[in-house]
Amino acid sequence: MSRRRALEGIRIIDFSWVRAGPWATRWLGALGAEIIKIEWPENERGRLPSSTTPQGLETNLNTSGNFNDTNVNKKSITLNVRSPKGLAIAKRLIAVSDVVIENFSSRVLQKWGLGYDELQRIKPDIVYVSMSGYGHTGRNHHYTTFGPVAQAASGLTFLSGLPGKPPAGWGWSYMDDTGGMYGAMCALTGLYHRNATGKGQHIDQSQMVSAVPLNGPALLDFTVNGRGSRRTGFPPGNRAHWPGTPVLDNYRGPTVAPHNAYRTHPGDYNDWCVIVCHTDAEWSTLVDVMGAPAWARDEKFATVSGRLEHQQELDERLETWTATLDKYELTERCQAAGVRALPVQSAEDRVENDPQLRERGMYRELEHPALGRHKVQNAPFKLSQTPAFNHAASPLIGEHTREVVESLLGMGPEDVRAGFEDGTFWPPKRARFPYQEDMLR
Amino acid sequence: MIEEDEGGAGPLGGLRVLELADEKGQFCGKLMGDLGADVVKIEPPGGEQARRVGPFLDDIPHLEQSLSFWYYNTSKRGITLDLGSDDGRQLFKRLARDADIVLETFQPGHLDGLGLDYAALSADNAGLIMCSLTSFGQSGPWRDYLGSDLLHMAAGGQMASCGYDESDVAGGEPIAPGGGNAWHMGGHFAYMGILAALVSRTFTGAGQYIDCSIHEACALTTESAIANYVYRGETLIRQTGRHHAAQPGPRTQFRAKDGKYVTALVGGRLNPKYVADLAAFLDSYGMAGDLLDAKYQDPKVIAEATSHIIDDLVAGFIASLPAEEVYHAAQDRGFTWAAVRAPEDLLDDAHLGDRGFWKEVAHPELGRSFIYPGEAAIYGGSPWRISRRAPLIGEHNAEIFSGELGIPAEELAALAKSGVI
Repeated sequence: MSRRRALEGIRIIDFSWVRAGPWATRWLGALGAEIIKIEWPENERGRLPSSTTPQGLETNLNTSGNFNDTNVNKKSITLNVRSPKGLAIAKRLIAVSDVVIENFSSRVLQKWGLGYDELQRIKPDIVYVSMSGYGHTGRNHHYTTFGPVAQAASGLTFLSGLPGKPPAGWGWSYMDDTGGMYGAMCALTGLYHRNATGKGQHIDQSQMVSAVPLNGPALLDFTVNGRGSRRTGFPPGNRAHWPGTPVLDNYRGPTVAPHNAYRTHPGDYNDWCVIVCHTDAEWSTLVDVMGAPAWARDEKFATVSGRLEHQQELDERLETWTATLDKYELTERCQAAGVRALPVQSAEDRVENDPQLRERGMYRELEHPALGRHKVQNAPFKLSQTPAFNHAASPLIGEHTREVVESLLGMGPEDVRAGFEDGTFWPPKRARFPYQEDMLR
Repeated sequence: MIEEDEGGAGPLGGLRVLELADEKGQFCGKLMGDLGADVVKIEPPGGEQARRVGPFLDDIPHLEQSLSFWYYNTSKRGITLDLGSDDGRQLFKRLARDADIVLETFQPGHLDGLGLDYAALSADNAGLIMCSLTSFGQSGPWRDYLGSDLLHMAAGGQMASCGYDESDVAGGEPIAPGGGNAWHMGGHFAYMGILAALVSRTFTGAGQYIDCSIHEACALTTESAIANYVYRGETLIRQTGRHHAAQPGPRTQFRAKDGKYVTALVGGRLNPKYVADLAAFLDSYGMAGDLLDAKYQDPKVIAEATSHIIDDLVAGFIASLPAEEVYHAAQDRGFTWAAVRAPEDLLDDAHLGDRGFWKEVAHPELGRSFIYPGEAAIYGGSPWRISRRAPLIGEHNAEIFSGELGIPAEELAALAKSGVI
């Protein structure tokens, strides 16, 4: 039996909103699962407010660029799950699905009457992935998160920055991205286990808790060696070690120098490169790439211990060379010789200037009815037999309401009209989009 | 169907993984091992180079005492094998015949050169799933480039989004977040690709090859940065402890009385209800200042007073209390705030304790046990667990080569002597 997509035939009921949950189901959709996103415009979070609506377009529920990239490969239905009729429809959809995913606070689905016990009653082998801030068990289960809060509470934020300064942290919701990864990973793992054993399960994923294992070596340095991270010289910025402090491992690989960011020509905001030499041989090659200037041939830089000891001078000298070169030119020169160097890349750099991402087809255009044609981010894994790809732009809100309830639940046009009139499929007093008017014809 | 043992197999119970991975892929192997797969780590004789990465037990560099290696190689068995030798390659092929998954992180083309590419390995094992997790993938102009965690954080876009406000640190230097997260990003996506292939295999019986790129995984992991550029042409600036942005925004990180920091997302949320709740919260500590004034129920007044509310009142309130107290008091009142904890602070987190997060892992060779971090998610029907500490070099050579492949002890000794294992 051949399949075009890895998750062909798998249906997922997706109650998720904002970013982490939708980022999870986006990938499951790219892998071929049918994603049915259940939304309600009155308490929507993710489509609004939008700082990524193109200039000149009206900001409405269908014009967020970030929503589009985060919600490709899905269908959207609008359903008032807080009404008895809407809840009954949700249950009927769950009964014909394989996975339920949501990223609400810990007790929301239970309060709706859709806790795991009920889900299991509706569909005995259901895989239920809850992606909450703090998980469904534990005394702080009711706490709420955004990415930056999960990052702070879990120790991630603390590991980034310069010594003696406040934490620099992460400049975005890394744990929305990564929480989304774990949501997708849990769903896939639960599906594999179900297919192997016939048994579903509830998987209790937590955004904050998922971040803690990402600090493994730092945690073991404490539990094994008794060394905490509140110490002189930590975190060491981009370096593996901060000059003038005890030579300790700082949880980013080998303790070596050079290991830093350096300015490149012409010196604009993102004109930086990074250079790392793991061995004395790599350093020696770098010296050659630089044209063997006298300073670099100094014996004090010949060994890793010497370079660590004289790191400040090393970095300053290196930067006098990097500052003369464009970051891509520098990268090519170094890498051609076997020296580890890459440019710091902005989003524009990645989309427009990165030759590797271009060759690998990282950004391909999709047409969206309200936003137009735009580049969308593709999968970093290429499956030889069942490739993942983006097959549909993000859905307009409620775009597939009629299609889904008719095809999956056998409802007819009368039921659809009634559902719009009684507030099951759309708030009666709220203006409808033209495509919703079409559903009523 | 998998028969579950009494303790409950993990969800990946019954799967055999062969791991040929350095620092790039060992985390992905751990993810599978802790979820129940039988992961056999195949190291070159003498040990994988990731064993040289610290920190080390008691700060003494030793191949068996890298805490980094310990952490990223739990729940695996370990054997040694020289794939450069004919005998080594033959043994590997025999192992691959019964494997479900091969995970490898060599430079592209290396295994092909040894005749151990997917076509060769799957010839006798149509269900084999093989994932190459490499810095840049198997094609493209950067294919043969060298990587490192810092390099990936630069090219992936992490650094362009992270750093300081000019008032905290002048110069605008991009700062790569610590902790080795390029390997985590790659590992998460590789795990997804492998599991998708596994699910597909449950329907078809057929395996497949997966080409996974860490550079692409990192480039995907900057939230809205790509959308801001694609839809609005914006390049974002770096800000202390908070989101990249097209324009500077209010700070979100505040120093508490104990010198620790609190992340309090206030800017952008200041509507009348939020301000009333905030005033009540601060007032319960006698720190509300003028915020109880009725004028703060006017959105226009609030907008004009944003800096006063954040930089005077919130900052002053947080400065009056220990960070952990602010965190719990705020969350109990529904504010999405947190203390900025150092990793070691997490050992005292009662919530993690309630979830049974910390695991005691025995190191019988040392006669000691150590506490390890636990699971990202609780699997209700198929438990996550650390089944053993990281393997010693070649620890399971006899168990696997003799016990499973049936190689006689004398022959194994000869293989050891000739450097094959």
